[in-house]
Amino acid sequence: MNRRFAELVPIGRSLLGLAAIVIAAILLSPHDRDGWPIFLSVGNWTNIVRQMSEIGILALGMTLVILSAGIDLSVGSILALGATLTAKILMECEFGIGIWPQISVAIALAVLASAMTGFLSGLVIAQLSVQPFVVTLAAMIGFRGLARWLSQNSNIGLSFDDQHISGHFTSIFANPYVVIGIFLATSLLFSIVLSRTVFGRYVRALGDNLTAAKYAGLPIKRMQVAVYTIAGAMAGLAGVIHCAQNRQGNPNDGMAYELDAIAAVVIGGTSLQGGKGTIFGTVVGTLTLGVITNILGLKGVDENVKWMAKAIIIVLAVLLQQPETFQKLMNSVRRLRGVNVV
Amino acid sequence: MPCLLRAENVFKRFGGVHALNDVSVSLNRGEVHALMGENGAGKSTLGKILAGAIPADSGRIFLNDRLVTIANPHDAQRLGISIIFQELDLFPHLSIAENMVIGNLNYKEPLLVRPASMEQFCRPFLNQVGLDLPSNRLLKSLPIGKMQQVAIARALSMNVRLIVMDESTSSLTDEAVDQLFQLIRKLKASGVTIAYVSHKLDEVFKICDRVTVLRDGEFVATHAIEKIEQRDLIRLMVGREITEQRCEPASSSGDTLLSVKRLTTRRIEDISFDLHRGEVLGIAGLVGAGRTGLGAALFGLDRIVRGEIELNGKPYRARHPRDAMRRGLGLLPEDRKIEGLMMQMSVDENASLSILARLLRWIFVRRRQERAETEQIYRETSLKSPSGRVPVNSLSGGNQQKVLLARWLLVNPEVLFLDDPTRGVDVGAKQDIYGIIERMSHQGKGILLVSSELPELLRCCQRILVLQDGQLRGTVNVAETTQEEIMELATHVPDPKRDARDDRNNHVVRSRN
Repeated sequence: MNRRFAELVPIGRSLLGLAAIVIAAILLSPHDRDGWPIFLSVGNWTNIVRQMSEIGILALGMTLVILSAGIDLSVGSILALGATLTAKILMECEFGIGIWPQISVAIALAVLASAMTGFLSGLVIAQLSVQPFVVTLAAMIGFRGLARWLSQNSNIGLSFDDQHISGHFTSIFANPYVVIGIFLATSLLFSIVLSRTVFGRYVRALGDNLTAAKYAGLPIKRMQVAVYTIAGAMAGLAGVIHCAQNRQGNPNDGMAYELDAIAAVVIGGTSLQGGKGTIFGTVVGTLTLGVITNILGLKGVDENVKWMAKAIIIVLAVLLQQPETFQKLMNSVRRLRGVNVV
Repeated sequence: MPCLLRAENVFKRFGGVHALNDVSVSLNRGEVHALMGENGAGKSTLGKILAGAIPADSGRIFLNDRLVTIANPHDAQRLGISIIFQELDLFPHLSIAENMVIGNLNYKEPLLVRPASMEQFCRPFLNQVGLDLPSNRLLKSLPIGKMQQVAIARALSMNVRLIVMDESTSSLTDEAVDQLFQLIRKLKASGVTIAYVSHKLDEVFKICDRVTVLRDGEFVATHAIEKIEQRDLIRLMVGREITEQRCEPASSSGDTLLSVKRLTTRRIEDISFDLHRGEVLGIAGLVGAGRTGLGAALFGLDRIVRGEIELNGKPYRARHPRDAMRRGLGLLPEDRKIEGLMMQMSVDENASLSILARLLRWIFVRRRQERAETEQIYRETSLKSPSGRVPVNSLSGGNQQKVLLARWLLVNPEVLFLDDPTRGVDVGAKQDIYGIIERMSHQGKGILLVSSELPELLRCCQRILVLQDGQLRGTVNVAETTQEEIMELATHVPDPKRDARDDRNNHVVRSRN
C-alpha cells in the first residue's frame, strides 16, 4: 500500500461515519417548497455549527485531556461558572472604563477563573496522584456549587436594551458567524499545537505510555497540570459564548455537556486509553453529533426518542472508527465468497 | 511418529505487514518441535494461531488428519491445544486453584465456589508438574518459575495434546529452566506434543527433536535436530553468515567518570564501584539480584537511603530521571514496551522525544533538523524502518530496541546504564548493538552493561560486577575469569549458621584487580 495513502486511512475512517450520517440525513430530510431538502440549506448548516460550537470548544480541550490518558468531567460545571461570571460582571459591575474594555475584562476574568479551576484539578491529579475521574467528578460537583453560590442560585439575565453594555456583548458573541469563527480558529490552533509543538508531542507521549514518558525524562506533572488548565480555559470560553447565545448566565446550565464533549471526541476516533487521536477527528465528531441532533429535530422526533436514537448512532459511529470492524466485514465478505477462514 | 497436527498455507497480516505468508508446518505426536526465527519472523504468530489466541486470515489446520476450525481459545481447548505465553496470562490476585479452574471446560463448576472441590480437581495435575504448594496460595506470591508450572498444570487439566510454549524461558533463572526442561521431557514421554517457540539456540539443541525455521513470515525449512549444525541453523534464521566477534572497547585507562560509594536503596545495599571513561563495566546477577535496582538508584527512580555518588568528580544525586538526564546520566530500561517506547507514536517521534528541548523554535519542533539528526543516528545504528513516520509497534523487536538506543544516542549522556539491551533481540541486531556499545566506549563514554547472558558480558566488558540479593558479591576481571566463577558468585549461598547481618558487614569484596 502506498504510504501516503496509509496515513490517510484513519482520517478517512472518521469522515466515513459523518458521511454516512449526512447521506442518511439528506434522504430523511423534509423538503421545502422547491423540493430541496431543508437539511442542506445554508441556514440549517449555520444552525448546526452554531449549536455545536459550545460542545466543539469543550471537545477541543477534552481531546488534549483524553490524549494524555485522562478525563475531565467538570467542563459542564466550569462552563456554567464561566457563563455566570460573564453575566455577573456585565450586569452587576460598573468599572467606569467604557463598554468595550468592560466586556474584555468580563471575558478575560471568566476565562481566567475557569482556567484556574482546571489548574486546581490538574494540580491535585499531578501532585497527589489521584485518578482524573475522581478529581474531576469532585470538581464537577464543587464548581457547580461555586457557580450557584456566586449567583445565589439565580439566573442572571442580560439586558435586551441595545444601548446597554450587554446588548453590545450579545451583538458580537451571539452572531452565528462569530461563534463559528471562534470554533474554527480554536480548532486550527489546537490542531497546530498538537501536531507541531513540543507540548503536543509530550501530551501524546504521556498518554501513550506514562512509565516510558517518565524514563524519557519528560516533565509529566507540568504537562498534566497544563492539560487540565487548558480544558478549564476552553470551558470558560464556551461559557462566555453560552452566556451570549442564551442572553443569561444560568448556574444550572451546561448539565451533562461534558458527556457530549466526550462523545464528540470518541466519535472522532480518539482512544480513551490515550495517546491516539487528532483534532480533525474531534471536529468531525462534533459535526456528526450536531447532524444527528439536527436531523432528528427537523423530523420532529419526540425529545425522548431523540435521546434513544442518539445513543444508538453514537455507538455505531464509534464502531465504524475501529479497524477491527473493517477486518470483520472483509472476513465475512471472504466467507461469502467461499474462502476458508480459520 | 504419527502426525498430530498439520497447518497448511497459513496467512496472517497485521496492517501492511505479512506476519505469515503461506506457512505450512506439521507436528508429530509426542515430539518437542522448535519454531525458530529472528524477532519478527512470525514464530510467535504461528504459535498463537495454533492455540486460537489470534485468528489466521486464511489457511487450513488438520488435527489427526481431520480439518478443524480454531477461531478462539475455546475451540483450541476443546481440541486439546494450550498456549503458555511469555507473560503468563494468569490472574495474579486469584489463587492457584482458581487460576486452574477459571474458563476450564473440564471443571464442572458448582453453584458456589467450593475450595475443596477445586483442590480435588487440581491436585493430580499439580502433582504431575511437581508443584506441592497449597492450592489456595495467591498466584502473585509465587516466583515466575512456579507460575509457569501452574500454567502447565492448567493446560494438563484440559486434556491437552499440544502445548505451545512462547519464549517460556526468557524470564526464568537457570535452575527454573532446568526444572522446566525436566517437565517437558516428562510431558513428551506421556505423549504430549510441544511447540517450542524460541530463538535461543542452546535450548533448542538441548530439548527439541525437530526444528522449523521461519524468516520474515515465510517457511524456510524443517530439520531433525541431530541432523543440523548450530551454525547452519543460524544461517537459516538470518539468511546470512554471522561471525561473532569480540567487542573491542577502548582501553579503560581513562579517568574515573562515575564513583559510587556504599550506595543503598530499598533494593540494593552498600554497593561501591568506579567506572572509568571508555569503560564498559558489566553487571551480572540473576533476575532480582539488584541489577535493575542499581540503575534505578543512579537514574533517580529509587530514593537513595545512603551512600555517595560522584560524576566527573562532582557530587551527584538525581531526584528523578529528568534530573539524571540533565546531569549526563542515561538509562535504557529493561522492558522496552513498558518503560521505553510510545508504541502508537512514530519512529521519529520516539527517537527524538528526549531532545525536543534542543529542537525548539519558539514552541514548535524544528522538523527538518529533527529528521536530519534522527536519520544520522538511524544510519549509525543500522536501524531498518520503512520510514520514520510509521508507528514504532510495526517494527521488529530488534529494530524497536534500536529506536530506544537512538533516543539515548541523541541525548548523548556521559554515562549510560544499559539494562539488558539485547533481551528478546535477534542475532543480527545483537551484533549491531555490540557495535554501538563499542563506539560509545571509544568516544570516552562510561557504560554500565547489564545482561542475563554471561557470554555477552565476557565479550563486551573488561570488568564485571556480580550482584546477588542486592549486594555486590565480587568484581571479576574478564581476562582471568570463567562463566562458572561468575555463576558461583551470583548464586553463592551465605553460610546459614552466621547471622545474616553480621555476614553483610564482614563480606569480602573479591577483586582481582
